[in-house]
Amino acid sequence: MSDSERLASDGVTNADGTKIADGADQRSASSGRLLSWVSTVDHKKIGILYICTAVFFLAIGGLEALLIRVQLLFPNNNFLSPDLFNQMFTMHGTTMVFLVGMPVLVGFQNYFVPLMIGARDVAFPRLNAMSYWLLPFGGILLYFSFMTGKAPDAGWFSYAPLSTKPYNLMPAQDYWIIGLICLGIGSVAASINIFVTVLQCRAPGMSLQRVPLFVWMSLMTAILTILALPALNSALAMLLIDRLLGAAFFEPARGGSAVLWQHYFWVFGHPEVYILILPAFGMISEVIPVFSRKPIYGYAFVAGSSAVIVLLSYGVWAHHMFAVGLGMGADMFFAVGTLLIALPTGLKVFNWTATMWGGSIRLTTAMMFAVAFLLEFVIGGLTGVMFAAVPIDWQLTDTYFVVGHFHYVLIGGTVFGLFSATYYWFPKITGRMLSERLGKWQLWLWVFGLNATFLSQHVLGVMGMPRRVYTYADNPGWMALNAFAGAGAVAMAVGTLVLLLNIWVSLRRGEKAGDNPWEAFTLEWATTSPPPPENFALIPQVASRRPVWDLDHPDAADAGKELTPADSGWRPDKSVTSVWAFVASEAVFFLLLLVAYVVFNTDLVGEITSASLLDVTRTAVFSVALLGSSFTLWKAEAFLKSGKFAQFRFWLALTITLGAVFIGGQAIEYYGLITSDVTISDNLFTATFFTVTGFHGLHVVVGLIALSIVFVLAMKQDRNVLHGSALKAIGIYWHFVDVVWIAVFCIIYLGFMQ
Amino acid sequence: MIELISDKELWNWWSPVWLVAAVVALLYGRYAGWTSLSKTLWLISGLSVLVFAFVSPLGVLADGFLFSAHMIQHLLVLLVVPLCVVLSCPPAAAGTMHSVANEAGSLGQKVRAVITSPFAAWLLGLGAMWFWHVPAFCSAATENYMIGIVRTGTFLAAGVLFWCPVYSPFKQDRLPASSAVVYLFSACLGCTLLGIYITFTTITVCPAFASPQERLAIMVALHDAGMTASVDQQVGGLLMWVPPCSLYVAAIVSVLCRWYAVAEPGELGWSVSQTAEIR
Repeated sequence: MSDSERLASDGVTNADGTKIADGADQRSASSGRLLSWVSTVDHKKIGILYICTAVFFLAIGGLEALLIRVQLLFPNNNFLSPDLFNQMFTMHGTTMVFLVGMPVLVGFQNYFVPLMIGARDVAFPRLNAMSYWLLPFGGILLYFSFMTGKAPDAGWFSYAPLSTKPYNLMPAQDYWIIGLICLGIGSVAASINIFVTVLQCRAPGMSLQRVPLFVWMSLMTAILTILALPALNSALAMLLIDRLLGAAFFEPARGGSAVLWQHYFWVFGHPEVYILILPAFGMISEVIPVFSRKPIYGYAFVAGSSAVIVLLSYGVWAHHMFAVGLGMGADMFFAVGTLLIALPTGLKVFNWTATMWGGSIRLTTAMMFAVAFLLEFVIGGLTGVMFAAVPIDWQLTDTYFVVGHFHYVLIGGTVFGLFSATYYWFPKITGRMLSERLGKWQLWLWVFGLNATFLSQHVLGVMGMPRRVYTYADNPGWMALNAFAGAGAVAMAVGTLVLLLNIWVSLRRGEKAGDNPWEAFTLEWATTSPPPPENFALIPQVASRRPVWDLDHPDAADAGKELTPADSGWRPDKSVTSVWAFVASEAVFFLLLLVAYVVFNTDLVGEITSASLLDVTRTAVFSVALLGSSFTLWKAEAFLKSGKFAQFRFWLALTITLGAVFIGGQAIEYYGLITSDVTISDNLFTATFFTVTGFHGLHVVVGLIALSIVFVLAMKQDRNVLHGSALKAIGIYWHFVDVVWIAVFCIIYLGFMQ
Repeated sequence: MIELISDKELWNWWSPVWLVAAVVALLYGRYAGWTSLSKTLWLISGLSVLVFAFVSPLGVLADGFLFSAHMIQHLLVLLVVPLCVVLSCPPAAAGTMHSVANEAGSLGQKVRAVITSPFAAWLLGLGAMWFWHVPAFCSAATENYMIGIVRTGTFLAAGVLFWCPVYSPFKQDRLPASSAVVYLFSACLGCTLLGIYITFTTITVCPAFASPQERLAIMVALHDAGMTASVDQQVGGLLMWVPPCSLYVAAIVSVLCRWYAVAEPGELGWSVSQTAEIR
């Protein structure tokens, strides 16, 4: 903890206490309190910030949903104009996914992952703060679009060509893109942090096979995010280039491909579904055992099957695109893949049920939400399996049946998991219990609301009511079903208010919680409620999957009885691990840009092509410089390792020079092309060429800046550089940039794959 | 004019693959011995799949008629047969191989170290897959019998090397679980990319199949049922993509089972008092 923060947290104590002498002190205390939140790098405070920001956007997204329901209350209603209706459903979807769902889950992960693994903080506290602050920044950018006269209105998946310039002239879509890029960068950074934290900061004795399931699910979610978000980012970058620089990646009229947007979006979008549900799986995997007084049934299965979900989730995206016309063969294979991924998901339901079987179940609100999760999530899951059958998908796609399906998954699954976790962990966060009575009101309001709203939508979908249309004709039964759906939405809104009331009452005069009110099993309950800034006075020693149970019941301890793989004690270097995770993410980004290049240049004929424009020999020479810089950096690393600092500095300087030569070569190439009137908007070759090489050049420049910083620090005899892993970490990034260039050179300059 | 061949020749009973299977079985008996039933069953499965891939109609259709049949054959030869062979290999036989390599001197050791390193194994396994789908090589191997044999040989060898880091009979040669998962997942990514490319590209990946010199009678029926050359290639690409990835995921599951099963009774010195300090 930094000095300023220690002061700031003292300020909190003062403000909470009663011994404040005069008004001046009080003012400085309250400004100190604000500063302590704004400048915090404590994972617990950042977690709370994430959760509160998500609740704020939940209110906005919920209001948008209510406006949609009001509009659909009567046939031929004109409460919202068609245009405003489009904006509402677009903003509702985007808000709920990017500004509510992901942040609130990341918030819980931020707060509890370090506590559950017995760590003092996340691996990179400052990066953590940056990840958080990108969230309000992205959210404000997204909502600022209202000030431009119109919010984004192309749907949460912004299908091209509707999202391209000719069909969407207002700047709102640009705000949508830039906002999402901000949020995407924040999410990837947060996930790299969680990934490294779980791998590196675990308490002694806690092997990866012993981590609490919420931690394991957070690790899986982090991997999913790291590898899936860059797909969205590359698509967003291309769409932004289309819109601002006049390229035509996604404009079919100019040779682009609207279907490519769908592919890229869903390569991100399907893993995103699991990014939103896996942490909820983790939450109820904590809650159900605690309130059944049993260890989880089949720990290894729950954990292992989640790993399988992660792997399979990248291979089923096209089931969102059955109606596109990918061809019978593709449809069949994706249908099979979709059925396959239902197995590891569906079978877990049996694990949770078997955990309850024969347990002494305590039906607290947390447990009831977990049970409700099981019931509602199964409904959402089963309608999902229905969509794997291609003809059913053709019939029901773009109807309210789909809307009903995914709301069952996201509310019955994610939201109920979150409510369960809220009731379970609130005492730990605040030191006070939530009211069970109000909790049960909330539960039944939500159970009624969910089923009323979305079961009706299933029926409406089967009747043929299309989604995203602002109104409907007065067909028999439609109004009644829509009115019922509206009543359900109101019930959910009231349920949320009950939760907020519950929190407010509890914070003022809630029952004191104590360290471990639920007699729970995992390490977060071994410290005080709320935990001190350093989390634990002593780093705990772990010998089983339920360390706190072992502590409380030495006679019936798991340790020594239920054998689990022991901890080897090895932890990876955190800088190196984080760079590997970052490189993996960037690899996906470049991969998709290169795929776009291959897609658009395979059949390209005309005057402006790779063969007619590029000077392969000249670029080959500059490429040798770049590849040579990998060799010189390797030499520099070797000299650093053997302690020959003078040679190390020489080879590092040589590396930087070679990198600069390459960038100089690229600048000459760009200058030549631009002065002969070849620009990014000419055709698909120039668009893909400038995009791929431009992003690569940007990465080289970033690498050069990083290497220069290392060089300057090396001149100043910095300990971290000379004896730490800083150079090794940057080296991995630099070699990666070179490997990318080999692929770029082979594909663009030598014409491989065409 | 395309020549039509009757469906009677859908089975290639006189394929030399029998000879290969017999030689492998003899060598296995000589060096590994028919000691363990499960290992023997793996070998029998592997050899049966190998024979099936060339003798059955699959082998005949793969020989220049149907790209998707070629793809199935290719996957059997590159992935399934070598997997069975590696799993059939008892540690004793692997030990003999180790000592043979060691006797061959430092060069032999070096060669062995390079080709059995996981990185090289990954590159060779994926490389064989990608290399033989460059249009020129793919056509050449289909049209020329000898190149076809070379292709099959490289598939088998690359396949065995690929599976070694995961299922080597020597436990110390196996990758640690986390690396094995990355190894298999990245391999899945590699064949996914190739599969996507073959499925969606407008290029004819293997021209030999698109314009055959002769045609089996059954091909006419298949063509009438909608199996045109482009559909054939699309199905081939999907076969390149989904089944191998499913196999890799299954292998990942087995690695995870292994990972969770390592229960070590150690953990001596643990006591409640030690954990009690955290409060």
